[in-house]
Amino acid sequence: MKTNKLYTLNKDSLDKVLNIWNEKSSVYVPVGKGKDIQLMPLNEGERTEDYINLTLPVKEMVFEQKEALFKWSRNEDTIEVEELAHKHAKNRIFFGVRACDTYGIAYTDRFYLQEFPDPNYKSRRSESTIVAVNCLKAGQHCFCTSVGTGVFSSVGYDLALTPMDSYYLVEVGTPKGQALVSEAESYFIETDDSILKDKDDLMAKVEESFPLKMDLTNLWDDMAKTFNADFWLDEANACIGCTGCTNVCPTCTCFNVVEEKIDEDHGLRVRYWDSCQISHFTRNAEYHNPRDAVARVRYRIYDKLKYIEERFGFKGCSGCGRCTDVCPTYISIIDIIGSIQKAAKNNPEPPAIHQITKIRHEIMDRELTSQRGLFTPDVATITRIKQETPEIKRLFMKYDDPELHKNYEHKGQFFQVTVFGEGEVPLSIPFGPDQTDELVFDFKNVGSVTDKLFSMKEGDKVGLRGPYGRAFPYDTLKNRNLIFIGSGVAMAPLRTVIEPVVKNSNDFKQVFIMASSIQYEKLLYKDEMKEWAKIPNISVLYALKDPTNEVEAYSGYVNDLLPDLDIDWSNTTALICASPERIKKVARDLLDLGMGPKDILVTLETHMRCGVGKCGHCKVGSHYMCTDGPVFNYEEMMALPPEY
Amino acid sequence: MDEISNAEMILVIGSNTTEQHPLASTRIFEALDKGAELYVVDPRKIRLTDFAHGYAPIEPGTNLPMINAMIHVIIKENLIDLNFIKDRTENYEEMKESVKDCTPEWAESISKVPAETIRQFARKYATTDKAMIIFTMGVTQQTTAVKSIRALANLAMITGHVGRPSTGINPLRGQNNVQGAGDMGALPDFLPGYQRPEWPETKERFSKIWGDFSCLRGNNIIQMFNLIDEGIMKAAYIVGENPVLSDPDQTHTIHCLEKVPFLVVQDIFLTETAKFADVILPAASFLERDGTYTNTDRRVQMINKVIEPIGNSKPDWQIMVEIMKRIGMDVNYKNTSDVMDEINEATDIYGGITHDRIREVGIQWPCPDKEHPGTPILHVGEFKRGKGLFTVNDFEFIGDQRSEEYPFIMTTGRVTHQYHTGTMTRKVWTLALEYPHGFVEIHSKDAEELGIKDHQPIRITSARGSIVAPAMITNRINEKTLFVPFHFAESPANRLTGQNLDPIINIPALKVSAVRIEVE
Repeated sequence: MKTNKLYTLNKDSLDKVLNIWNEKSSVYVPVGKGKDIQLMPLNEGERTEDYINLTLPVKEMVFEQKEALFKWSRNEDTIEVEELAHKHAKNRIFFGVRACDTYGIAYTDRFYLQEFPDPNYKSRRSESTIVAVNCLKAGQHCFCTSVGTGVFSSVGYDLALTPMDSYYLVEVGTPKGQALVSEAESYFIETDDSILKDKDDLMAKVEESFPLKMDLTNLWDDMAKTFNADFWLDEANACIGCTGCTNVCPTCTCFNVVEEKIDEDHGLRVRYWDSCQISHFTRNAEYHNPRDAVARVRYRIYDKLKYIEERFGFKGCSGCGRCTDVCPTYISIIDIIGSIQKAAKNNPEPPAIHQITKIRHEIMDRELTSQRGLFTPDVATITRIKQETPEIKRLFMKYDDPELHKNYEHKGQFFQVTVFGEGEVPLSIPFGPDQTDELVFDFKNVGSVTDKLFSMKEGDKVGLRGPYGRAFPYDTLKNRNLIFIGSGVAMAPLRTVIEPVVKNSNDFKQVFIMASSIQYEKLLYKDEMKEWAKIPNISVLYALKDPTNEVEAYSGYVNDLLPDLDIDWSNTTALICASPERIKKVARDLLDLGMGPKDILVTLETHMRCGVGKCGHCKVGSHYMCTDGPVFNYEEMMALPPEY
Repeated sequence: MDEISNAEMILVIGSNTTEQHPLASTRIFEALDKGAELYVVDPRKIRLTDFAHGYAPIEPGTNLPMINAMIHVIIKENLIDLNFIKDRTENYEEMKESVKDCTPEWAESISKVPAETIRQFARKYATTDKAMIIFTMGVTQQTTAVKSIRALANLAMITGHVGRPSTGINPLRGQNNVQGAGDMGALPDFLPGYQRPEWPETKERFSKIWGDFSCLRGNNIIQMFNLIDEGIMKAAYIVGENPVLSDPDQTHTIHCLEKVPFLVVQDIFLTETAKFADVILPAASFLERDGTYTNTDRRVQMINKVIEPIGNSKPDWQIMVEIMKRIGMDVNYKNTSDVMDEINEATDIYGGITHDRIREVGIQWPCPDKEHPGTPILHVGEFKRGKGLFTVNDFEFIGDQRSEEYPFIMTTGRVTHQYHTGTMTRKVWTLALEYPHGFVEIHSKDAEELGIKDHQPIRITSARGSIVAPAMITNRINEKTLFVPFHFAESPANRLTGQNLDPIINIPALKVSAVRIEVE
């Protein structure tokens, strides 16, 4: 990132240079007083040099607080989806950005532009030039030097200015920055490395002046040993869910996605900044919320101090102190670091397993089948409908664009299904790899979107994004005994493996399909299961609460059936889809019977909004359920914090 | 407000401060950081109690006995400020006599607050130099509203906690401009600046500014709806208020709105009340107009327009001017600054507050002239009437009580992320998602007895009506007590509340309704 060019710029010339830059680009400079400093267009306010930091980090310029993603319109029988990608605009130069914010932008670049690149961020970011101005004074809550992201900017800038006596030392970071120098080249005097000594001396002096100096060397160890410390309750009691902290944070990236209805035939999909500090961030349908107040407050701190860095290699907290400045109840990340260190010294717990286990973090570059933007669905038409149980329906559908079927690759575990005008929900893929010209979904009516889906008719249209998510590793199952355990509608995610297993049954040893439910009528795939049971090495077992005459069923929990299976447990893989509590109960019994935790496969489906690892709703610890999962093995599952 | 940070003892009665006035609670936290002590009185273990040094789990509607008992303790244990009483007050002996039987034990039998707790609160308040009382609707939305506030004044005066920094009795106002609206005479018995219409000098002053006008005392909101019901009031003009959700006895409110021959509603969105209107006047929101707001600090502050009014909406003051013109009045206001000039002329307390003077920082009234800097603390040295008057405030029970038919007491209130009738907040995604619907808080013991599960729909019925809301089981409320927030039109708490009124000012006891519950 660093190129070697160094310049000096006379302080008196700065305004002239800004005006020259303002001819080709829109220059934004810090304007305001006290703690109220904003980036405003040059000449719309008086530029100030008397400030510690901007009130809001520069991320607000490239990742807008609210933005429309696409517009849909219904026209008789068709639905048109128009992507509202950010349009190209005049380049903007943001002048006066501090080291903590340039670090923040370097992180948000990594976050939004890789794996599934965010098209709107990409567009705005490419039209933004960052000119950092380094700090000579620390604010009350500044701790960039303790974290290592400041005091002088080292990443994320196109140009960095360090104020010396009568001049600025100018460092070029990128070709964009070099181009800025060229635009006003008469004012920039090239210089050599010898000047860097003066810069380093100045930096040392400024760092020495910081009131806050913290030693964070053992922080992750300390955090592992204090996950359940008492002080977290005090912090949680104070939090009122105002979301101020996440709004002002340079490394916060989460958003929510909603349908905004214009009328019956027109609507918008909109996204807006969201916050993990509000209780509905992780709340699922039917009130299940994997995070309580303590987990919620603790999660932000762990994410900033640990999880982001574990996953992306960038510090999650750049030490700007804004969250501490803004909190109305005085929750301070600085004080919390102190509490963590104190508790680790005086009252450590054995390190929590989910804080010290290294589990899968491979970043997969995904190619999408669709040519549409990341958040824009493809339209599909419902071709057939089947009522599976009173509460579960099966919808068959085809993309309106036949090319999508031609290019369809069977990978992933779920689709994001849009009901235009209502919303979008993730639905598991229940069909097998041979099914490429018609997509099928089995779902239960549990919320407002599935309610609308439930009442749809043949010919109605939905939107599809996907397939996303990590699927069951089918190839690793060959020549093994297999046990499928699913309760009620949870059989659907398993069916995508069951179907090819049934078709290629000779590739596998003993296969047990264990279906559980309250009543036989509530079971999914009742007819298919009777067919599957006819295959020689496949057995279907039923565990029901209420007895039935339809099939021979065990009355009780599905776990009870396990010990009677006469198989070589060391050559067995189990695939379980159920609630986390049931998964744990079944897994414990399987481990007792001699299975290894890597051979127990589960799907963990949490509250998902974007499906592509960006909105943050499905994040558990440092993992995203939608891209790292939803399929995990049991060892990996146990290494996740218990917040799913 | 900043004086809260310097208080040494803070007594919070009937205020869910962290959830409703978070910036006031910020200052409470600042005080706590400096070693202050916090004492909370509330029928629910509100979040503020997690930080309190003392908590009184009071039975709804029984503030007055507790306050009188605190006064009794302070007098009995000789913790009074004798000098203050001598120099600055009158009628002490009569008041002292009136509380001689108000023992903590007596108060406990009514309020369910343990006698020792009452003593603890009283002693701490009396013996701390900078002690402040903070209160809101828990004290005022009661049949004992006026008496309770007068009793709080008694309490502050016997201990000399008035007219000095970080003392006093401090109501936290709810709406951002309720103080300003009252200051401007949006009250049935005051003209702007709290000048009474009966006073001859008031009549003369306003006749000069406005010409001939009616000096008849008006009607408060309860009286207005009753006059509609009686067929006497023939028209109603409702501005920025949603009585269908915020007034007691919703059935009666709706009946009146249907009955009134002519109804105008002026609001920023189509509210439940606006649906009954004959004429709807769309108003502009706070972003679309300028003017001033006056906050709980008595501070008058500028608000600045940032976008043009959307569609056909207009700022409230412009709508008013348009109507005045059509009535044939000679009006000449070009902008809100013109209106401010008139306010300067008409009211002494705002005499010197102009837009130019408050562009950066607001000014606290009284501010009689353009040189005056404003008044941070009231009643310094002298009360407005001269000496502070001790009053007799005997407790008598008026209102709903538990019975066999209605064995629960329901109290109402608010949640953090919704505001009042949700006109604005239920339209904001984040806020609406946080609380998508209403609920009823019930103690776990009561829930168990009735076989109620969390989130289960519960039917709540009072003598006035019935609603359904999902149960929220908690241990942070007294037994046989329920809490229902009033923001949600589909489970409107005010369908259950009634017109049990404070006899002096007619505020309804929204905090106390007898109800029964059953699984829906």
